[in-house]
Amino acid sequence: MSTYVYGIARRAHKALPEGMEGIGDPPRPVRIVDEGELAAIVSDAPEGLRPKRSDLLAHQRVLSEAGAAGPVLPMRFGSIAPDDDAVRHVLQERAGHYDERLRALEGKVEYNVKAVHNEEAVLHRVMAENPEIRAMTEANRKAGGGSYEDRLRLGEMVVAALQTRESEDAVELQHTLEPVADAVSVGPESTGWVANVSFLVDRHSAEQFLTAVEEVRKAHPHLELRVNGPLPPYSFVEPGPSEPAEAAASATAE
Amino acid sequence: MTVVPATQTGGGGTSGLYDVLELVLDRGLVIDAFVRVSLVGIEILKIDVRVVVASVDTYLRFAEACNRLDLEAGKKARPGLPEMVGQVTESGARQKTKGALSGAAQTVQDAIGSVREKAEEAAAGARNTSRRAKAEAQEKRVKREEEQE
Repeated sequence: MSTYVYGIARRAHKALPEGMEGIGDPPRPVRIVDEGELAAIVSDAPEGLRPKRSDLLAHQRVLSEAGAAGPVLPMRFGSIAPDDDAVRHVLQERAGHYDERLRALEGKVEYNVKAVHNEEAVLHRVMAENPEIRAMTEANRKAGGGSYEDRLRLGEMVVAALQTRESEDAVELQHTLEPVADAVSVGPESTGWVANVSFLVDRHSAEQFLTAVEEVRKAHPHLELRVNGPLPPYSFVEPGPSEPAEAAASATAE
Repeated sequence: MTVVPATQTGGGGTSGLYDVLELVLDRGLVIDAFVRVSLVGIEILKIDVRVVVASVDTYLRFAEACNRLDLEAGKKARPGLPEMVGQVTESGARQKTKGALSGAAQTVQDAIGSVREKAEEAAAGARNTSRRAKAEAQEKRVKREEEQE
């Protein structure tokens, strides 16, 4: 029987979610496999596991529950070990590394912020910032919409201005929220968002972070923000992925 | 106005799921000694849907959007004055932005077809369509998985 792994915590974790309903149908009960000071949160792996909604939710639920009571390193969905012994082996082999990560993430949660433009509001903004676009719009309107070439030229300028705004907004969002977060992880670009950034936030300063988000929202009404959290620190389990803010910002600005 | 922007996760609510999906599927700890479930098809997550795409279609669409834009409202709003701009956004948020699909998002949506359960959300606002197209793609994928069961 192969073993599905949700995450890694300390054996001394205050409330490991043992017995909780895990993935699968019927849900496989969550078990704990421990080795030394570490504990893996696992369950039996159902045959033919696929990324179904109910399983994704179960994965997330188990980790949220565990994360609420102490640091947990969340696994990416769908990690399966051949058996419990293989899990123990990994815990033993990389004990130092996981211990360090657990210490680094103690009391920290992830907030993922996604931003999109409100089209009408951002067009107003682009008009206000760019007299040329505004003049051309007015000229086209007077000419009953303008010729094909006129519309093409206007559209091209608007699109360029919007794209500039997209990257500027992404950088600004990140810079504004960065000071109230411990770390930043920029999600992959070009996935339909103006910005997709995860912030590692101390549980105790979560309120401060959310207030800062609210301020961004007020100051940039053309940005629609979706905030998800507190989440297990999915984007911060490995020390590599969070680029230094400056590097990420300049990369986006280019 | 106090808005609590955080979606509390862990409660099993689905609205936040699409935003969190990406994290659950794409981030998190990977241990090479373990096998990972095949996510073939989930790759649709990675489809490149730029928010605003440079293409003739997009140019014409935005020229049209500018043409329809209420310039007076924009002038009065004077972006930079938060309280005024706030009003504009609120009204903007209520108005449906027709044809807000960017070319690429449209293609994706055409490709994946219409997805049930989304009618409500679609009515709530046709904006953010690229993101939604992606969310729908994800949902569709997940649904297909469920149906295969």
